[in-house]
Amino acid sequence: MTINPDAIVFWQWGRVSLNATIAYTWLVMALLTLISWLVTRNLSSGTGISRWQNLLEVVVTGIRDQIKEVSQQQPGKYLPFVGTLFLFIAVANLLNMVPGYMAPTGSLSTTTALAICVFVAVPLYGIASEGPISYFKRYVKPTILMLPFNIIGEISRTIALAVRLYGNIMSGTVIVAILLSLTPYFFPIVMQLLGLLTGMIQAYIFAILAMVYIASATSVHTSNDGQRRNK
Amino acid sequence: MGIDWITVSAQIINFLILVWLLKRFLYQPVMRAMGCREQRIIDQLNETQEREQKAEETVQQYLEKTRALERECEIILARAHERAVQQKKQLIDDARKEVAEIREHWLRQAYQEKEEFLGNLRHQVANSIQKIAHTALKELGNAQLETQIIHLFIDRLAALDQESRTLLLKESEDTSEPLRVTSTFLIDAELRDQIKRVIHENLIKGIEIEFSQSSELLCGIAVTVGAGQLGWNLADYLNQLDQRVEDAFAPVASVASIEKSRE
Repeated sequence: MTINPDAIVFWQWGRVSLNATIAYTWLVMALLTLISWLVTRNLSSGTGISRWQNLLEVVVTGIRDQIKEVSQQQPGKYLPFVGTLFLFIAVANLLNMVPGYMAPTGSLSTTTALAICVFVAVPLYGIASEGPISYFKRYVKPTILMLPFNIIGEISRTIALAVRLYGNIMSGTVIVAILLSLTPYFFPIVMQLLGLLTGMIQAYIFAILAMVYIASATSVHTSNDGQRRNK
Repeated sequence: MGIDWITVSAQIINFLILVWLLKRFLYQPVMRAMGCREQRIIDQLNETQEREQKAEETVQQYLEKTRALERECEIILARAHERAVQQKKQLIDDARKEVAEIREHWLRQAYQEKEEFLGNLRHQVANSIQKIAHTALKELGNAQLETQIIHLFIDRLAALDQESRTLLLKESEDTSEPLRVTSTFLIDAELRDQIKRVIHENLIKGIEIEFSQSSELLCGIAVTVGAGQLGWNLADYLNQLDQRVEDAFAPVASVASIEKSRE
């Protein structure tokens, strides 16, 4: 049984191959984009709104509130990145219910890609917030001896981010596969349901952690500002 | 388990594209719609607040107008009341004045009638008394009334008290005019001599005496020297009669006096 979607190749040209990870990622992207486009092409700014618009507004407002709660900042500039992380992972995991579908998040390549995105986004947001020098000074604080440890910390948490998501999703798939061979019919379905919960929780955890990392990179600037003001 | 770096690169690109797509088709439109709705709600709230404020101002204006109208109404009512009171007072005063004029006119008329009546009565009584006295005296001793009056006058002069004599004497010393004996009838020479003698003996010795006749005295004789006067006149009795008649008309007189005191 294949549990790694990277191994399922639909089309290959040289080293470039169209595997299940990319194909299902495109499916998730298409689904998200299509739903968004269908709903938002007839948006109403009045009091009478459609159910779909209401759903999207609830989702977007919920994400905004979470970002605001974690970062204690205005969520506007973080919403596209963090919100997309959450929605992509959540939808990718939820679609696990569909027979024949394999969640792209069950591929270490996808989770690594997402973790790399977070790894790059954190310093970008930090630099954008407080400037490059001030941001990179964080790595030599309290002494320059902490520089390697800070760098290791950055890399390790990125790896942890990738592996955590991958491990949880992949383990769900593996558990279902094993249970199917041992106790078919009923018990795997329960585990699938558990997988839905796990998938949503992992999407939430991934997005929240990404936001925490970004917030820690930008909140330094804020706290330094506060200290300067106090002085 | 393994990492396909080409897939990783593709997924990074896919993710970035998805970020852009969702930003373009989800976040921006939804946020814009929510912003518009919030703005509209804020506008509506502001508009409602403004309307409420305007309504409050309008209510205040109407309350002010109502209060002003009430004040004006009170002023008008007060003026009307004051004018009514003045008019009432004026009407009462006019009525009182009119009543007073009518009453005064009536009293004056009554007084004139009374005066006229008393005058007529006096003359009639005097004439009657004179005629009665003449008749009585003629029947009694064939004496004339005038002679009797003169005798009575002579007796009075003879019995005159000291105070009156002193008064007449003083008056004669103060004036250079002669003593005047005035009567309503003609006195014959004999009686004149008797009168002269009594005056010279009892009043003022040697004073010049003039006799004259006057209709002012109703029926009598009088001695005048300077401001002093002494005499007997039927008019005195008639005056007493007048007084008694007037006393009989006392209720009419008292009403007239009350009206005069009221004015």
